[in-house]
Amino acid sequence: MKYVCDVCGWVYDEAEGAPEYGIAPGTKFEDLPEDFECPLCGVSKDNFSKE
Amino acid sequence: MEIKYIGVNDRITDLFEGQFEIPNGISYNSYLVRDEKIAIMDSVDLRFFDKWLENIKKELNDTPPDFLVVNHMEPDHSSSIRHLVLEYPSIKIVSTKKSFDMMRGFFGTDFDESKIVVDNGTALSLGKSTLTFYTAPMVHWPEVMVSYLDTEKTLFSADAFGKFGALDHSEDWACEARRYYFGIVGKYGAQVSSLLKKLSDLKIEKICPLHGPTLDSNLSYYLDLYEKWASYQPEVDGVFIAYTSVYGNTKEGALLLKDELESRGTRVSICDLAREDMHEAIEDAFKYNRLVLATTTYNNGIFPFMREFINHLTERNFQNRTVAFMENGTWAPNAAKTMKSMLENSKNLTIIDTGVTILSALNENSRAQIVALANELVK
Ligand SMILES: [Fe+2]
Ligand SMILES: [Fe+2]
Ligand SMILES: [Zn+2]
Repeated sequence: MKYVCDVCGWVYDEAEGAPEYGIAPGTKFEDLPEDFECPLCGVSKDNFSKE
Repeated sequence: MEIKYIGVNDRITDLFEGQFEIPNGISYNSYLVRDEKIAIMDSVDLRFFDKWLENIKKELNDTPPDFLVVNHMEPDHSSSIRHLVLEYPSIKIVSTKKSFDMMRGFFGTDFDESKIVVDNGTALSLGKSTLTFYTAPMVHWPEVMVSYLDTEKTLFSADAFGKFGALDHSEDWACEARRYYFGIVGKYGAQVSSLLKKLSDLKIEKICPLHGPTLDSNLSYYLDLYEKWASYQPEVDGVFIAYTSVYGNTKEGALLLKDELESRGTRVSICDLAREDMHEAIEDAFKYNRLVLATTTYNNGIFPFMREFINHLTERNFQNRTVAFMENGTWAPNAAKTMKSMLENSKNLTIIDTGVTILSALNENSRAQIVALANELVK
């Protein structure tokens, strides 16, 4: 599943994770920490929608 | 310690960023801060590199500048970076990590030998004065930062507080700054608000934006406007009528509504979306507290200019206003329904149910509807 930042368009792909930000491949979006921020624009998790 | 303007006026470009009409040109602002160290604040569009370099040399003669501070990576402010580095190989580039990532995209290099990566709150001493950087993500790109020079109480604000118009042309600030803001930054009101909050503890006496004049008096006027724009609050009590018309009948309806409203003492602005600057219309939709959309049923939907206009509004988080509709149709008028559904997800709109349906041309019925709508709009 992919999630896209509503503000800047950055995409979180669960399969790929985000290794450059310390998030392992396969990490479910819901398992990201509550204080997870979009690495591109800094907004919180609730600003993401399912792609 | 002094700040020197070393920017350039662009009188060549007809469509800024590929879409905005700029009949009076635009400026790409760059500033030179001279202390024990010398910092250049942002570069300019590459087409004006020679003029910019001439401005730099006029100030510095043969002294090389120490730093190029990059507040924003959009090419109107960044495309000269590589040429500047070739001119001054010892210069250090000061910017956010995201900017250097973008440089790799634009130039194929992130200038590894020259880079100084800064983050929110990083300070850079120039001698007696210090520059402090504040990140401003999505105002209106993700890498953006602003810079504060303590001794001069000056904010280098990137595209924020910018306006269209070259600096050798004088005109009202708000109109062209508003058209710039809603055209370019409008979607990112929340991000602008959080930047304003972030900066609220700084003592700011001067704002140096990347376009338009330096602001150094009556700053609360500009800050108040920005607060309003960023929070999508209307500025003016009045009605903006945006219309399209194929044979002039919808136009007649729009003009009749204008007369009816004005005779009730209401301020009205009106625009033919097919013939006038679309971005002036966007600006007015955000400026006034009431909006009337008038268009023709077309291809079982609405006339293309109206569709484009509404898309511009919703993309920019249009909200907090009263909206009414006027439709025209010869056999199956359904433009109002289409327009309404396009605004369905917009927050906090008050939709006026009293609509106007013109069947081909104005008649007694539709005239009465227009009068009723005028009454409803001034309630
Ligand atoms: Fe920009
Ligand atoms: Fe710009
Ligand atoms: Zn984002």
